[in-house]
Amino acid sequence: MTEPVVNIQHLQKNFGSFHALKDITLDVQPGEVFGFIGPNGAGKSTTIRTLLGILKASGGSARIFGMDVWKDAVAIHKRIAYVPGDVYLWPNLSGGEAIDLFLRLSGQKHSARTDELIKLFDLDVRKKCRSYSKGNRQKVALIAAFSTQADLYIFDEPTSGLDPLMEEIFQKQVLALKDAGKSVLLSSHILSEVERMCDRIGIIRAGEIVETGSLADMRKLSRTNITVQTKDALDSVSQLPAVHGFTPDAKVANKASFAVDSEELDGVIAALGKLTIVSLQSTPPTLEDLFLRYYNQKGDEGDAQK
Amino acid sequence: MLKSKFAGTGLLLRTYLRRDWLRILFWFLGLAGLMVGAAGKFDTLYGDAKALASITTTLKTPAMVSMFGPFPDAKTYTSGLVYAAMMMVFMGLFTAMMNIYFAVKNSRAEEDTGVSELISAHAVGRWSQLLAATLEIVLINVLIGAVEAVGLQAAGMTGANMEGNWLFGMGLAAFGIMFAAFSLLCAQIVSSGRSATMLSYGVLGILYVARMATDVKNPDLSWYTIFGWIEKFDIYRNNNWGPLFLMLGLALIVFIIAFAIAATRDVGSGILPQGKGRRGASPLLRGPFGLIARLERMSTIVWLVALFGLGASYGSIFANIGDLLKSNPTMAKVLGSAATASANRTIVLSFAGTLAIIFAVTATVPALLTMLRLNSDEKKGYLEQLHARGISRLHLYSAHLVYAVLIGTAALVLGVLGMALAGNATMDRAIALSRFMRAVYGYWPALMLVIGFAALLAGALPRFQSLVWILPIYGVFSLYIGKLLDLPEWAGKLTPFGWINNVPTAQVDWGAAGWMTAAALVMMVLGYICYRQRDLKIN
Repeated sequence: MTEPVVNIQHLQKNFGSFHALKDITLDVQPGEVFGFIGPNGAGKSTTIRTLLGILKASGGSARIFGMDVWKDAVAIHKRIAYVPGDVYLWPNLSGGEAIDLFLRLSGQKHSARTDELIKLFDLDVRKKCRSYSKGNRQKVALIAAFSTQADLYIFDEPTSGLDPLMEEIFQKQVLALKDAGKSVLLSSHILSEVERMCDRIGIIRAGEIVETGSLADMRKLSRTNITVQTKDALDSVSQLPAVHGFTPDAKVANKASFAVDSEELDGVIAALGKLTIVSLQSTPPTLEDLFLRYYNQKGDEGDAQK
Repeated sequence: MLKSKFAGTGLLLRTYLRRDWLRILFWFLGLAGLMVGAAGKFDTLYGDAKALASITTTLKTPAMVSMFGPFPDAKTYTSGLVYAAMMMVFMGLFTAMMNIYFAVKNSRAEEDTGVSELISAHAVGRWSQLLAATLEIVLINVLIGAVEAVGLQAAGMTGANMEGNWLFGMGLAAFGIMFAAFSLLCAQIVSSGRSATMLSYGVLGILYVARMATDVKNPDLSWYTIFGWIEKFDIYRNNNWGPLFLMLGLALIVFIIAFAIAATRDVGSGILPQGKGRRGASPLLRGPFGLIARLERMSTIVWLVALFGLGASYGSIFANIGDLLKSNPTMAKVLGSAATASANRTIVLSFAGTLAIIFAVTATVPALLTMLRLNSDEKKGYLEQLHARGISRLHLYSAHLVYAVLIGTAALVLGVLGMALAGNATMDRAIALSRFMRAVYGYWPALMLVIGFAALLAGALPRFQSLVWILPIYGVFSLYIGKLLDLPEWAGKLTPFGWINNVPTAQVDWGAAGWMTAAALVMMVLGYICYRQRDLKIN
């Protein structure tokens, strides 16, 4: 088995008495795109900043390429590229100057690839960063990152300021990295993005990883949405423990929508069969459903940071 | 129609006052406290005729005139009269600084952070924010002026009178409002808070230096320097209210221009056009040091030229200062020509020593601004991209520190050099450049100590790093007027600038220079050790 590119074990981070990260354990394997999802304030950026050695961990361990993220920060950083969610650039530098600076700081050069990316992202590099919008500042960081030859790419909500066209370009570029065998850690709360690109995902909630696995694995753990009409009354089905959120149709008799635990699908369908099915629609769980399930289920404990 | 342009001003004003009250209190205590405190001491300091005669002789010398303004000719002097002559220019300078601070903070800086945009989106008029900022500043000035007047009244100096006390307080208020107007105008022209502050200080500096030159040569010309108006109140003698109305009139005109520009420009931009930037980075822009140099390029040029100009303008009055024949003819006659020449030389060298403190303190400003960027840029999020690349903390920290040391040193050298070159150009008997350079060697360790302290704070206590500004501010205060107020010796020793011996008159004390530089290095290293240990993002 190959060594993981990123390996985080029981990582903790406190700001004074506030526990921003309580227990983060995850790893990113070589050549995979790992999706890191969670709502605002759950600890995604704190985890990433700790990985970058900007914040010092309060407990646990975090390693990239097998090296300690705090002690060997410089050695690690030579092999990674990073785009933060909020890109801030020196107002009096031009976009082109910023891109070149970032490349040189990573020991790289402005290449044909850089020019290609500038064209692709449609950025006016001669404008001062002062006059860039949030999306344009993000483009500067993205162009610098994508034209950097790195082993690991870290993106922290990179598309939050981009329009749908640019988002599309971003996704293509990430998929190209994946094809080239690079590892990517992508934090996001845009689930369709994660769904499309990521091999595995980790869900973070209030400083803890609540689930990791491939999307297929997670789907198994989640619920399927069913809308069904039968000849006989649905009362018996509504009582089944695997059926959730049973909502009878207001207009049509014996019609209802509900969700079923995916593992129990078989039993519920069998029960429905006895009632003579007139019509049946089933939708597989989307990442949204997964996501909402994790958050609503345990919502009483409080989701986001206080 | 007009009403809608000012909608919500009252609410904004209340918000500003609630937000700024601590800062206002700080300036309030500083300015009014200094003024009233000094007034309370004056009768005991200059109570008898002998002390009065001695201080009037001192204040009439060109060196003192250059710093405090011209001293009035009167038959009999009182402590009140001496106080008014000595404090006016000095207080005016600080009042102007306070107004630049508040004017930029509540106009341009507000736009930089995007707060203006949020406010503008509400039911708030186009001019409301500017008007609220203006009203707040007027309120602060009048309030401080009134307290100063009441304080002077309570101090009851000999020779003071009630009209003069109020003219003093309100005159300073009008002077402050005028500089606030200049600053608000600057804020409309340029496109960032930093540039607005720089431009405002540029205006203040030029007017101040112009006043100095005209005061020494022909005080009547000071009417043309605007800053000179503050000397023309003639407090406690004629109590001339004319300049006050002149100041308010000019302030009103400048306010109107500022409002007119504000009405036409976009929020977040100035009226000066923004040039296109480079397509790619220059070969020099490759590491943290190159980055700082690139970012600070404009401000470095401005500071170095300003220091050289300040030095040169002081130097240009050396001939007047070192002219005993003119300022004290009886003494010159008694001494004879050879001794007079040597006395002249002593006067110039001792004046150069006082100026060296001013250059050293001024040189700390760009140095500290650079050093403190380490955290202020971090807070703005600029450095996050650097951390994620192969840049070690040592590299980043030392780049800031080295640039700070270089610019501080260059500023000090240029200040002294400007003074020496201009001085020697005007004086009949030149003084060797190496003699003047003693001031550089002497004060450089103090400069290093202040930078070292800044580095230590930036590394260890980033949240409190702006406390370092106390050193230069207190340095100006204690060394500018500390002696005249007869402050105890330890009060001058609270700042490193007070630990330097009497250069360039005396030899450089290499021992003191050595241990001070060593202490500065220790603080710089300690600062790094703390910087290496801590979180970079400070929440």
